[in-house]
Amino acid sequence: MSRLGIHKTLKMYVGGSFIRSESGRVIAHHSTAGDVMYVPRASRKDLRNTLEIARKAQPGWGGRTPYNKGQILYRIAEMLEDRAGAFPAPKAQVTTAVDRAVHHAGWSDKIVAVLSSINPVSSGHVNYAHLRPVGVVMVLPSAQDGLLGLVEAICAPLLMGNSVIVMVPTELSEVAGALSEVLAVSDVPAGVVNLLMGDVPSVMDTADLLDDLDTLVVGPGTLSPERLTASEQAAARTMRRVIRAPSAEAPTDAMGLGRLAEVQTVWMASGGPGVTSGGGGY
Amino acid sequence: MTMTQDDRPTLKIAGAIEFSPAPEGHPVDIRPHQGHFIDGMFVEGAEEGRFQTIDPATARPLATVAAATAQEIDAAVKAARKAQQGVWGRMSGAERGKFLYRIARRLQERAREFAVLETMDNGKPIRETRDVDVPLAAQHFFYYAGWADKLGYAVPGRTPHPVGVAAQVIPWNFPLLMLSWKIAPALACGNTVVLKPSETTPLSAMRFAQILQEVGLPPGVVNLVNGPGATGALLVGHEGVDKVAFTGSTGVGRHIMRTVAGTKKKLTLELGGKSAHIVYRDAALTQAVEGVIDGIFFNQGHVCCAGSRLLLEASIADEFVERLKIRMQSLRIGNPLDKNTDVGAINSAAQLQRIQHYMDIAEQEGAGIWQGAACPAPSEGFFHLPTLLTGVQQSDTVVREEIFGPVLTVLTFRTPEEAVAKANDSEYGLAAGVWTEKTAKLFGTAHALNAGVVWANGYNLFDPASPFGGVRHSGFGREGGIAGLWPYLEAR
Repeated sequence: MSRLGIHKTLKMYVGGSFIRSESGRVIAHHSTAGDVMYVPRASRKDLRNTLEIARKAQPGWGGRTPYNKGQILYRIAEMLEDRAGAFPAPKAQVTTAVDRAVHHAGWSDKIVAVLSSINPVSSGHVNYAHLRPVGVVMVLPSAQDGLLGLVEAICAPLLMGNSVIVMVPTELSEVAGALSEVLAVSDVPAGVVNLLMGDVPSVMDTADLLDDLDTLVVGPGTLSPERLTASEQAAARTMRRVIRAPSAEAPTDAMGLGRLAEVQTVWMASGGPGVTSGGGGY
Repeated sequence: MTMTQDDRPTLKIAGAIEFSPAPEGHPVDIRPHQGHFIDGMFVEGAEEGRFQTIDPATARPLATVAAATAQEIDAAVKAARKAQQGVWGRMSGAERGKFLYRIARRLQERAREFAVLETMDNGKPIRETRDVDVPLAAQHFFYYAGWADKLGYAVPGRTPHPVGVAAQVIPWNFPLLMLSWKIAPALACGNTVVLKPSETTPLSAMRFAQILQEVGLPPGVVNLVNGPGATGALLVGHEGVDKVAFTGSTGVGRHIMRTVAGTKKKLTLELGGKSAHIVYRDAALTQAVEGVIDGIFFNQGHVCCAGSRLLLEASIADEFVERLKIRMQSLRIGNPLDKNTDVGAINSAAQLQRIQHYMDIAEQEGAGIWQGAACPAPSEGFFHLPTLLTGVQQSDTVVREEIFGPVLTVLTFRTPEEAVAKANDSEYGLAAGVWTEKTAKLFGTAHALNAGVVWANGYNLFDPASPFGGVRHSGFGREGGIAGLWPYLEAR
């Protein structure tokens, strides 16, 4: 007699925990195996809680050394590779995603060097422009980009020192669930990466009202033009940065990564003429 | 408005040196009717909606200015498009750069004339226009001229292309300098522009157009349209525009961001601020006093990055405030054209009213109001004495909102963590200052401040090589340096 298999309950990943939606609401969806699965449907309260958790987690993550961030991103690749055979996605997709994580792991201690500058100002100052994280980034990956899109959505903001909230399209819920398990064992601190599931437009209705989200990254085809316009208009309230991202087929390049950071210019008095202050020089 | 002088310390050197008036003796001629500059030509503009620009130091009119009609804005955008596609976008970077170098040189040659004109139209002291605004404007063109044939180095891994036609709207606090911040990088990158100067300070931009004719800049590469906010709204909303750049209030910036939403227009916003200025007890206090004075009273405090929130380590607070008061009593307020003047005129009656409104709020909120200068403010024109607000709270309106005038709030802190927390407790994030002689504390604080620009042992320094811009409600995008090229490039 054959053994009855165990179905996995699909959960969201928030603050390092696997949770259902507090609303108790679900969306019925078919798994890759053809079974019915119930995708948690993130509520307003879920998003608010997640945002609070991501905000609290960001300074600790942003303050880690670039080397440490790179190792943790590499650990994501290791854990993903390890599970490639059991992933609810074709193996080729998983290995592509692994390679993407490895690619980004290598950026964390280099991107600041590529995009920063020592600026030759006409006074006695060491003037440098360097990068600081934007803070909390919400990403809407495109369903067409599959697992690769999810990994891109996580790794690019993460390597820049941000905390991330990924709004998973329903089609990718199952693979996102498996990816959450990878994240949970990759030394990514709790709350730094969070995956919410459910109805994307309705979650965006809430996201538009929340003030504490710094950047929104919108993947191609994830929002209707009207819905995107509404989110861009709502962003004006808090000067939220809205990035219309290209497909995840190619990794976010240096200039793209720069948009997930803020340039900070620092003037350090270093001696020489006119050092104390500027303006009128009273 | 209250002026409490009970606790005013005596300045021993006050009056020891009498200043003779030293006015700039060669005023510039100003055309009484100003219009627009479209497709390389000065156009008179419509009579309907024509408004005055005044000298804020005397409240007397300098000229009348036309408000651009929708047709004129459309003509300007079309001229810019034609010039971008036909000439400017096709020109080699090296040739574009040579035009920008020419502009820089002409600005240097006519520096005195621009400084006087700017001071008359804006009200800022001639010493500032002469030593800061005009030289920096010329330097900005000189700096970006050199980038025009090196753009590939600014976008690692990509190929730079112009964005197209840029709509640019600038404020009244640094009219010519803001014009240079907008036009120089845009042109270096192969874009053409339609720029709207502020309605209270259009004169230096219109004179700048003469330079464009003198240097032979192809028609349509730079177009200037005058008018109030409604003109700016028409310009940024024009469908022929690819890129919008705005410097001004956060309120207007929000409106522009909503207008641009859903379009493919690129946007950069340089908005308001309420910048914190932190002084630790181990700072070089004499220099710090100078820096704090510069930080808030430079340009009458009409500076988006003005250090308007002073945060003093508690143990030095009383002494530092006394030093500030003494220093403030040597600031000469008065005729902006006088070379001895430190604090000039407030740019407009409306702005003076706004500042006075905040003074009323300060009184209601129970702030200690202290004002001082080396001489009384003139009776005509718009002037506001340098002002300190003490005994205020982090939650007070005058501590949270941008006053845009010579008004400094004073708060204290006990630890670096508290200083950073208070500094970052603001919707804005444009700039900040920090003073200490301890290196680790200096870097540590500077990097912890949530601001786009941080001055460490200095304040209000500007340079074309140095990126400037804010975070959060202070906007996004940078002007100056390599980062200042990015908003004007389509990097593919």
